[in-house]
Amino acid sequence: MEILREYWPFLVPLIMAELALMVTALVHILRHPTYRFGTRAMWVPIVVLLQIIGPIVYFIFGRGEDA
Amino acid sequence: MNHYLVFLKKELVEHARTYKLLIMLVVFTIFGITNPLIAKLTPELLASFMPEGMSMTIPEPTALDSWAQFFKNTQQMGMIVLVLVFSGVLSSEISRGTLINLLTKGLSRQAVILAKYSAMLLVWSLSILLSAALTWVYTMYLFPKDHLGVGYLLFAISCMWLFGAFLLALLLSSATLVQGNYGSLLLTGLMVVLLMALNIIPSIKEYNPVSVASKTMELAAGKIDPSSVYTAVEITAVASLGLIALAVIVFRKKRL
Amino acid sequence: MSILEIKDLQMSFGGNHVLQGLNMTVPEHSVFGFVGRNGAGKTTTMKIVLGLLRPRSGIVTVCGEQVIYGATKTNRHVGFLPDVPEFYGYMRPKEYLRLCGEITGLSSGQIRAKSEELLELVGLGDVNRKISGFSRGMKQRLGIAQALLNEPRLLICDEPTSALDPIGRKQVLDILSAIRGKTTVVFSTHILSDVERICDHIAVLERGKLVLSGTLGEIQKEHRRNSFSIRFATDQDALEFSQSEELKELNINLELDERILTIVIEDNSIGGQGLIDLLSQKQIVPEKFEAMEPTLESLFTEVVR
Repeated sequence: MEILREYWPFLVPLIMAELALMVTALVHILRHPTYRFGTRAMWVPIVVLLQIIGPIVYFIFGRGEDA
Repeated sequence: MNHYLVFLKKELVEHARTYKLLIMLVVFTIFGITNPLIAKLTPELLASFMPEGMSMTIPEPTALDSWAQFFKNTQQMGMIVLVLVFSGVLSSEISRGTLINLLTKGLSRQAVILAKYSAMLLVWSLSILLSAALTWVYTMYLFPKDHLGVGYLLFAISCMWLFGAFLLALLLSSATLVQGNYGSLLLTGLMVVLLMALNIIPSIKEYNPVSVASKTMELAAGKIDPSSVYTAVEITAVASLGLIALAVIVFRKKRL
Repeated sequence: MSILEIKDLQMSFGGNHVLQGLNMTVPEHSVFGFVGRNGAGKTTTMKIVLGLLRPRSGIVTVCGEQVIYGATKTNRHVGFLPDVPEFYGYMRPKEYLRLCGEITGLSSGQIRAKSEELLELVGLGDVNRKISGFSRGMKQRLGIAQALLNEPRLLICDEPTSALDPIGRKQVLDILSAIRGKTTVVFSTHILSDVERICDHIAVLERGKLVLSGTLGEIQKEHRRNSFSIRFATDQDALEFSQSEELKELNINLELDERILTIVIEDNSIGGQGLIDLLSQKQIVPEKFEAMEPTLESLFTEVVR
């Protein structure tokens, strides 16, 4: 709790950035049925559980050819 | 309208809509915020792992540690993300054939290369600026008493930017030379590994573009004089321009 | 005037001689069917015309100007539709046409007017979603729209229908048919029924050369053999006619199937008039008397054999 009180100016924007990335990736996964590889059942947990890395890997490698 | 500007606009729209811009900005925002935080918390974390009763003097962190984090993160993870995000910028257009339509309409091949490079540079510049600005603000907040030489810092950041620009030029020219989406990534990776291996030889160090990135920490700290990397900076800048010129020449002759 | 002229074009990949002295002339305002088997060299020829491939030798002129490999100026007269057109999936149709228009150098107002007109023509007037959600047929139609954007005098389509379902095919053929008169259309295909449906000129490419070319009428006339088909009202009539002494003396081939008699005349000993005279002499009224035209399919299989 003490860390939270002391460092909230850091933690709040960090958590917001992570969430923004995750939500964008999640919405993209749910709106597109096909991926360069893998399935929806694989990408959803990757994006939700692996903070930051998950969404980046999805956008760079997993996302289908088109927007 | 000029082909370069038309295609530059298309590239920027593409970066925004295919999430490349988003990834770059978010990743470098996260770096910017965490750099000072890690610098501040590392001694506390170390202390908490110390066995009871054992004492060790851990120096108080300073603003310089925060910037050390900035240069380390940008040089490693930052460059990896940069190259990965832009790895398909030209190669996927070649393999999918999206350019054929536009080239038969008279689009200049030189404009394609120059616009692609400019758009990547723009995103890269924005990202490193954002990261540096955030590191700056949060460092001031955590270490208000420390003062660093702004000139040295700006020069070091510019060196880091230049190394990113060099990597992008390497990536783009690789994409004109080899086929496939991952071929250019592989070639770029190999070249970087080769340059890093060459850095072991002391006499080459002075001329190696890798020095431009690896010396940034010492530059920011004022431990070495900027003039000691001038040669490497010049070589990196010339090499980047050379690589882009090569990309233009190869791409002009390339059969699509 | 001929809008596209190909003279003695040679091209090889490795040791494979794809084109071996191709000569071809496309007259203005024609719908020109460029027919050949898969791998006959149709796509190669088109890419050379567009300046995307460098031929080993030969001259190609578009509207009287010679095509130069690389950045050819002749492309300002040409619209091109690749076999599977690829677009930027993140763009909407109008944005893509704007990009194309800006490259060609049209003004903003021209682009807006022309885009709307063309999207209407290809049936995408009210489609405003991203191209990534397009079906193949829709992409093909958008491909036609982008190819027509700069009002080209020559539209080149590479197998525009082969990847499409029957409805998509009909839509594309209807569009190509609709622009007849405004633009000369050259399209390659291996689907002969498409050629019969909309083309007035055809050329058949085989082993790197043209083996058949001309208007559909000319080709049929040239290859018409002296053959007739007669359908009789009764078996008795059929038998009586086919076994008549007069026919036996002639150098002809007879084939009777039920009540339909097919006659192939090998020399000029007798013509259609002679057969009709013979029928009237025997007082036989047939149900049907037909001079047989060769079908495009039979001609095609004959020339590419």
